[in-house]
Amino acid sequence: MHAIQTENLTKIFTVNQKDPGLRGAVKALFRPSRKQVLAVDRVSLSVEPGEIVGYIGVNGAGKSTTIKMLTGVLMPTSGSVRVLGRDPHRQRVANAREIGVVFGQRTQLWWDLALIESLNLIAGIYDIPPKRYRELLERFSEMLELKELLKTPIRNMSLGQKMRSELAAALIHEPKVLFLDEPTIGLDLIVKERIRQFIREHNQQYGTTVILTTHDLGDIEELCQRVMIIDKGGMIYDGPLATIRQRFGRERTLTFEVHPRHLGDLRQHAERMQLPQGARVEAQNGGSSGGRLVVRFDRTLTSASQVAASLMGQVEVVDFSLSEPDLASIVRQIYGGALENGNGKEGKV
Amino acid sequence: MLRYARLYWLFLIQRLKILMEYRLNFFIGAFSFLAMQSVGLVGVWAIMRQVPSLNGWSFNELLFIYGLITLAKSMNHMFADNLWTLGQSYIRTGGFDRFMVRPINPLFHLLADRFCHDGIGELVVGGVLVGYTSRALGIPWTLANFLYLLLAVLTGSVIFVALNLFTATSAFWIVESVPVTLVVFNTHEFAYYPLTMYHRFIQVAMTWLIPYGFASFYPASYLLGREVGVMAWVGTLVAGVLLLLAYQVWKFGLQHYSSTGS
Amino acid sequence: MSAALKGLRRTLRISGAFLSTSPKVFMAYSIWFWMEIIVTVFSMVIFLYFWRAIYASSGQATLSGLSLNQTLNYIILARVIGPALENRMIFNFGYYIREGLIAIEMLRPVDFQFRNYIEMLGLMFMSLLTKVPLILIAVLFFGLQLPTSAAAWAAFVIAMLLGHAVLFLFDWLYACLAFYSTETWGLGVVREAVALLFSGGLLPLVMLPGWLQAIASGLPFAQGLYVPIALLSGILPPEAAPRLWLVQLAWIAGLLLASRLLFSVSVRKVTVQGG
Ligand SMILES: Nc1ncnc2c1ncn2[C@@H]1O[C@H](COP(=O)(O)OP(=O)(O)OP(=O)(O)O)[C@@H](O)[C@H]1O
Ligand SMILES: [Mg+2]
Repeated sequence: MHAIQTENLTKIFTVNQKDPGLRGAVKALFRPSRKQVLAVDRVSLSVEPGEIVGYIGVNGAGKSTTIKMLTGVLMPTSGSVRVLGRDPHRQRVANAREIGVVFGQRTQLWWDLALIESLNLIAGIYDIPPKRYRELLERFSEMLELKELLKTPIRNMSLGQKMRSELAAALIHEPKVLFLDEPTIGLDLIVKERIRQFIREHNQQYGTTVILTTHDLGDIEELCQRVMIIDKGGMIYDGPLATIRQRFGRERTLTFEVHPRHLGDLRQHAERMQLPQGARVEAQNGGSSGGRLVVRFDRTLTSASQVAASLMGQVEVVDFSLSEPDLASIVRQIYGGALENGNGKEGKV
Repeated sequence: MLRYARLYWLFLIQRLKILMEYRLNFFIGAFSFLAMQSVGLVGVWAIMRQVPSLNGWSFNELLFIYGLITLAKSMNHMFADNLWTLGQSYIRTGGFDRFMVRPINPLFHLLADRFCHDGIGELVVGGVLVGYTSRALGIPWTLANFLYLLLAVLTGSVIFVALNLFTATSAFWIVESVPVTLVVFNTHEFAYYPLTMYHRFIQVAMTWLIPYGFASFYPASYLLGREVGVMAWVGTLVAGVLLLLAYQVWKFGLQHYSSTGS
Repeated sequence: MSAALKGLRRTLRISGAFLSTSPKVFMAYSIWFWMEIIVTVFSMVIFLYFWRAIYASSGQATLSGLSLNQTLNYIILARVIGPALENRMIFNFGYYIREGLIAIEMLRPVDFQFRNYIEMLGLMFMSLLTKVPLILIAVLFFGLQLPTSAAAWAAFVIAMLLGHAVLFLFDWLYACLAFYSTETWGLGVVREAVALLFSGGLLPLVMLPGWLQAIASGLPFAQGLYVPIALLSGILPPEAAPRLWLVQLAWIAGLLLASRLLFSVSVRKVTVQGG
């Protein structure tokens, strides 16, 4: 049995629109104009027990909406969903017992209650046997370093403390499938690291299936072998992470601030520039404090130091910085390429 | 059932702990309710002092009606107040999501999430009024009468909760459901007075359409020995049917829950 | 003086902008608007039947010297217009003090109290505007009779303006308690409950027993609500107006003095303590 399986899963939202101004307001009173938003478009996927799958896409791609249908929050407009063989909306209660959910953007705990009290309530809601509950509480507070936090109300916690608490709350009933919607949003590197490690260990120890959405490539690289990419509601890639990295993770960007005296002929400079193979000037623009040159290069063909050295020999550089490609740009690249293969299926880009 | 009772207890304990932190608010809330109610009653007293009766009902009898409906209202206020905040605090913010991913009834979760202590003030006022007037009016507290009183308060509470459930469910479509709830809820003020003083149409509406009459006028008449016949007992049935209908509408609304886009 | 005028002009411009956007706001919140209308109509229905029953049971044509029509006229008007006079000055003060804004507010060139008065006046007019449909409904369906003589209207308008000033100044004085206590919510509730009875918002003051009437006349609330509504509803004849205005003016003079005094003393306390 698959842990998760969907077929042509689709969600259409109907949103009310209001035209601006008094006329719009009056019109809305009598004939509200509605708009249909296709948030998830015929998504078919299956996840095996024990897998950790990364689910990525740009803002508004439809990740959260998919997660909400998988967890029984939303009823699909069409298509089918099965989680551990059940329909999450029709068999909501049975499904809810077996899954754990973290919505990174909002808390599932009680704002005014101390963490331990929130956890006690959750233990009551999920009917966790007291002995088992104590064991798990002990283990989680060890692994997530929650000991000092147990008596703290959620409202007094930092973002990182809150997220660790959320994880404990989502796992205390030992769910078979764990849904994480942006679990590392807004966290610093150290907390991110600890959370990733916890997820990894938990997955290995209990064989929990994990689906995680994120905008942080680091999460994916450290946790997932498999990635699904969604764009404009449709699945455009489903396959190993390695393939993506090879093809799209190679580009880096160097941004140079050049001395103001080059300002007048920045464009000529950019055009005449001699750069190592695999590097090219992507953009140039002038400003009052100096000009800026953006250079993109392929990491497998040349290196940052080669590009920088070569450029510095030709113009005077005030400052420069190196940036990793962000997930959004990779997804955009993939989207452009994937159109050729129609609805990019298993492992193909 | 037992499980839900135990769970409610767990929720209640936690809620009371929070409330203890804001003790002062509790007393001010209770006091404010008391102040407004007494002022209203002083007004009625000032009027009633000049006339022998209102349609044949003495001041004490009016207070008895008032006390009965206040008891029912207090139950609704204590145990189902979160229906008012469903749109604002749970649907607009997407906070309702968490009810949907937990293995208990979302409606139960919503109601249990916030026991509202403000209703305690009402409970006390209603209790004192019913206690005082029943002695002044010489209603004998036999076991049968006492059980009838309990049934009447239960019936009244169910009517309040069911009507609020109907209107609160509209939050799944329009989010801002408070004005709608308020309009229907406010009709309970008709039931502060003997229904016989109104036009026939209003009497029918307050009996069969928005049946707040069963929270005050009919049980009060019965306990005061006035002839209402079978109407003394129909209320419980009406309340039950109303609650069932409201719950079906709620379940329908649940399928329309669309969360929020972030 | 010219600074004050400039400030006044600005305030008026702001309220003008407010006035012109408000129909939009009003429409956006139309559901609230309808809600208020329906709820008020319901309570009119209740009052109508209640008072009819009372008069029928009394077996007399008048109670405390008022006919059924007079009483209903009064109750409906008090119920519709009363809310327009509400100002929650003490909550504003509580907010200013908590956020430490008082000192900043005081730095502005226009007198703080005067500016607030103008603002509240604007709000009252706005609020009265939204009551027009209700008044129409009451005239059409509930037999509300509005005066036809210009004298009665003039008496009402002047008494309303003066009454608003009395309430504003009293609330200013009362709001100064916010400098000494953080329980502004509780204090606000006490004021509302007391005002409800003694302003004549529930029933014409002449219907209260003598000792309650005595208390009412010692409090400013009746000046704000009972006096103008009694003039508008015909309980009091226009000829009585000049004397009533004088009483209102006396209240204004006393309260103006007291409120400014208490306010400046209280502000000094805050600024000294660096609140
Ligand atoms: N409750 C809702 N009502 C109306 N439209 C919605 C709702 N939820 C989501 N949408 C729309 O559906 C689309 C997908 O949204 P979704 O939240 O699933 O994106 P996402 O991939 O999670 O984005 P992000 O990375 O920003 O979290 C968006 O266009 C969004 O505006
Ligand atoms: Mg999202």
